[in-house]
Amino acid sequence: MKLMPIIIIALMAGGVVMLISASKDMSTYSTFTHVKNSGESAKVVGMLSKDKPMYYNAEENPNLFTFFMKDQNGEEHQVTLHSAKPQDFELSEQIVATGAFDGDKFVASSILMKCPSKYKNEEVLVRSNM
Amino acid sequence: MQDIQYIGEHLLPGRLGHFFVLSGLVSALLTFFAYRKTTITNQDSSWLKFSRISWGVHAFSILSVIGLIFYMMVHQYYEYRYVWDHVSNDLPMKYIFSAFWEGQEGSFLLWMFWHVVLGSVVLFTAKKWESGVMTWLAAIQVVLVSMIAGVYFADSFRMGSSPFMMMRNSMDAPIFQNPNYLSMITGNGLNPLLQNYWMTIHPPTLFLGFASVSIPFCFAMTGLWQKNHTEWLKPVMPWTLFSCGILGTGILMGGAWAYEALSFGGYWAWDPVENMSLVPWVVMLAALHGNFISRHTGHSLRTTYLFYIGSFMLAVYSTFLTRSGILGEESVHAFTQMGLEWQLVGFIGIFLLAAGYFFFSRYKSVPVIKKEESMQSREFWMFVGSLILIFSSILISFTTSIPVWNKLIDVYGSVMGKGDMTSYHKAIPLDPITHYNRFQLWIAVLVTLLAGPTLMLRFGGMGWDLYKNKFFKHIVISAAIGSVVAFLLSKWIILPGWQYAVLLSAASFGVISNVDYLISFGKRTLGAMASGLSHGGFALMVIGIMASGLNKRIVSENKFAEEGIAQGFDPGKNAFLIKNMPMFMNGYWVTYKSDTLQGLTRFYEVEFLKMTEKGDTVEHFTTYPDVLYDRKLTKVATANPDTKRYADRDMFTYVAGLPPEQQDVANIAKADSLLEYKSYVISPGDSIIAGKFIVTLDSISLDSKNQGYIRQENDLALSGNFSVRNIEAPGTKKAYPTLLVRKGLLYGMNDQINDFNLRLRLRSSSLDSLIPLDENLNYEPLVIKPQETKSWKDLKITFEGIDKNITHPNYKAEEGDIAIHGVVKIETPRHQVFTARPLYFIRDGSPFNMKVYLPDLGLHVRLEKIDPAKEEFTLLFARPSAKPSLALEMAEEVPRNDYIVLEAILFPGINLFWGGAIIMLLGMFIGLYKRLRKS
Repeated sequence: MKLMPIIIIALMAGGVVMLISASKDMSTYSTFTHVKNSGESAKVVGMLSKDKPMYYNAEENPNLFTFFMKDQNGEEHQVTLHSAKPQDFELSEQIVATGAFDGDKFVASSILMKCPSKYKNEEVLVRSNM
Repeated sequence: MQDIQYIGEHLLPGRLGHFFVLSGLVSALLTFFAYRKTTITNQDSSWLKFSRISWGVHAFSILSVIGLIFYMMVHQYYEYRYVWDHVSNDLPMKYIFSAFWEGQEGSFLLWMFWHVVLGSVVLFTAKKWESGVMTWLAAIQVVLVSMIAGVYFADSFRMGSSPFMMMRNSMDAPIFQNPNYLSMITGNGLNPLLQNYWMTIHPPTLFLGFASVSIPFCFAMTGLWQKNHTEWLKPVMPWTLFSCGILGTGILMGGAWAYEALSFGGYWAWDPVENMSLVPWVVMLAALHGNFISRHTGHSLRTTYLFYIGSFMLAVYSTFLTRSGILGEESVHAFTQMGLEWQLVGFIGIFLLAAGYFFFSRYKSVPVIKKEESMQSREFWMFVGSLILIFSSILISFTTSIPVWNKLIDVYGSVMGKGDMTSYHKAIPLDPITHYNRFQLWIAVLVTLLAGPTLMLRFGGMGWDLYKNKFFKHIVISAAIGSVVAFLLSKWIILPGWQYAVLLSAASFGVISNVDYLISFGKRTLGAMASGLSHGGFALMVIGIMASGLNKRIVSENKFAEEGIAQGFDPGKNAFLIKNMPMFMNGYWVTYKSDTLQGLTRFYEVEFLKMTEKGDTVEHFTTYPDVLYDRKLTKVATANPDTKRYADRDMFTYVAGLPPEQQDVANIAKADSLLEYKSYVISPGDSIIAGKFIVTLDSISLDSKNQGYIRQENDLALSGNFSVRNIEAPGTKKAYPTLLVRKGLLYGMNDQINDFNLRLRLRSSSLDSLIPLDENLNYEPLVIKPQETKSWKDLKITFEGIDKNITHPNYKAEEGDIAIHGVVKIETPRHQVFTARPLYFIRDGSPFNMKVYLPDLGLHVRLEKIDPAKEEFTLLFARPSAKPSLALEMAEEVPRNDYIVLEAILFPGINLFWGGAIIMLLGMFIGLYKRLRKS
């Protein structure tokens, strides 16, 4: 009995199944409107609206941080992150927020932010979920 | 701009540097051709000699480039871009290495440095393989040196980014119109996040690992090239083991760094950069197993070639991903773009083409054994294991490469003229950790199941009929003990699904079967120890990953958790801790006790206390997470966790947030300007009612108990000592707002009563009215004898005598001085008693005096004259107003400033992970030792 070809074929078949299933995990870069209409989670790339207020009051709730963000189409929404306010957040140049809409608020499960050259384009990832 | 004569620039190191980069490039090319010629001419001795000299020149050039950069960094030649980018005046020397490889150019050089070292080892030890292997290594060096060449072609295409680029050539800024610009610039410095010892040891180890992948590749390519398909397998073995061990160590160090010094809250996050350092290692492991099979049985030579080539190509691909900027939106710590994208693509392309050409042109000549491996043989299952490893690396690379697929879609779109393809772009999974774990779990199941039994089998299935009873007996024993172990572990490790139960069983079987192998089969040889330990260590590591990952428990859940859950929100992982106020969290009483500043670091003392219901202490420890300020001490640059380690668990603590005023000095003024201050005038002993607070000025003093005040010489610190009561709550709190005159500057230091959300400060006018200039004072004389009591206004004055023990803070003794204090007792109408010690002294025959000031009375006292004949003393008194007072300002509803936001996570069994990983690597190094000892 030739077992090796069977094993290889089984592995390849398993691999195809896994890759297909893996690609279902893939998310997309999206806009606020699109995420809102689809009702699903996605990544939104945008910028911090520096003229709108940021809110973090550790005494009230150390795991609630809100801010406004403009996506690439210029649409602005409030974003909620259930975590502490990231260091130097106000300096961020670009934000990638991963999350979904809950009513009118975009609730982010993680935020990746890029800071300007002073900190050498260091990027910071903040996850609210563990 | 060309006409400007710049002052103070050091042009020599830069010119030498450019020269050595070019000589490094040319000598690498020469080495390539010379060694190629040596190989083709069948080891012609003059060509060999020439090749070695050429390699020597190359090695010298690379070392000189590195030496020059260090020289420039140590001397802080900021006229060079690379120095300016990575060094600053205050960078401690111990971080000079970190600064060197912080940038892309430096890390390329580090890679080349290791190639030079490893290549030189090959040169001395590889004997007949030297010329072939060195040909390929020189080719790799050519490409690597070109990355730092900084040579322009036709003005628009730049090859490489030079570390010797001058600042004024790298950017166009008005400052470079100034010939003396150098005196005006100072270095940017090393990112504070990277200022720790991990940054000193991790990159060299990881890059040694990356460089070590090249040598086996060069061996494999030489085997193909020279159609010598079997002989290279033996000499490549130590290199393969070295590569597995070192690259594994480098990756593990990265995990330890992330866990210990960064805020990830874990040792592995499936970040693209982490993944792409893992994948070449996994493929190298497959190559190691392929080598065993090929050498022992002659089977699967072609795949072994592919594995070695694949490992190197993936290392290059990893370089491309992390350095081209393509990961941009996906990775936490990828390098940023520096215009080398096409050169990096070229790097992959050249070696992929070369490898492809030699592999396919030699394909037919690679010996193949027609007979199928039997299922009872070790090589059969080893091969299956290798395929599983390859499988794992394909899955990891597939998801990690999403940004590359996006780029390819764009290229396809533009080639086919379909326009914008952005809508087809994908992004890395929303929750990458779950995504990768879901697939890699099954890989781990298969690997841990195969790890033990495969070792128990024999190559070629020798004597299977006699052997099989023993084999199956031990499999059954291992499975039985493994099941018991898994069952016991499942009482401890929380398993979220049946998949994890399968993994736990497989991993337990993996550990036990390898222990069984070591005891019953291994015969205590080095080879058996190497394989048994690395396989068993891996299985143990898997158990550690499950324990620390699945049992990970957030301790710092805050009091809002319940409310949060009710709303369907994540309860969050941070807790709000007020100084000296114990909080109960998940079984621990946690107290933020104090903070201390040492240099640029502020340490927070956090105490954990676990008690029984009776109040006996079960567990008590303190951690010191810290924050690091920037060099001006004005702003928090980064926070570092601190971990309490036990044998069976770790408590990880991290300061996730601070009051805004402690994060950035700029916030102090900003926050203060938002407060509404109300003004009051208050005299010592008086009370005022302000809203629900009763404020009493107990006294005014010239020394301050304000927490922010650290005494310096010649300070004048005027402090109001207040007691504050809240009408609605019991207890009295103290506050010490202060006005400080230091070196002619006036500072106001407010004080805050956090429990009342109350902030107090003094207006500077307090100082004017309390301590007017001496010439504005109207002194009145009072002639008095010792022990005599006289009245001055409403005060009773007694001259108690003189004291030769001089204590006046402003007096500095000189030779020949005669100095005495007058001791004056002053009693108020309310029978408060004060003592004043005015100073009188004779210097160079002339009399002088120094006054004392009693702030509570607003009274200035001098001893002006002494008449020894009459035994009479003339005192001078001045009191600007009848009643001294302070101008107090008070704000209510002030946010607290005495707290930290703490993240505390319990990692049970994490030492199983570290221990398992170390045992695994130890196994590899034992294997390496065995091979080296043999040869």
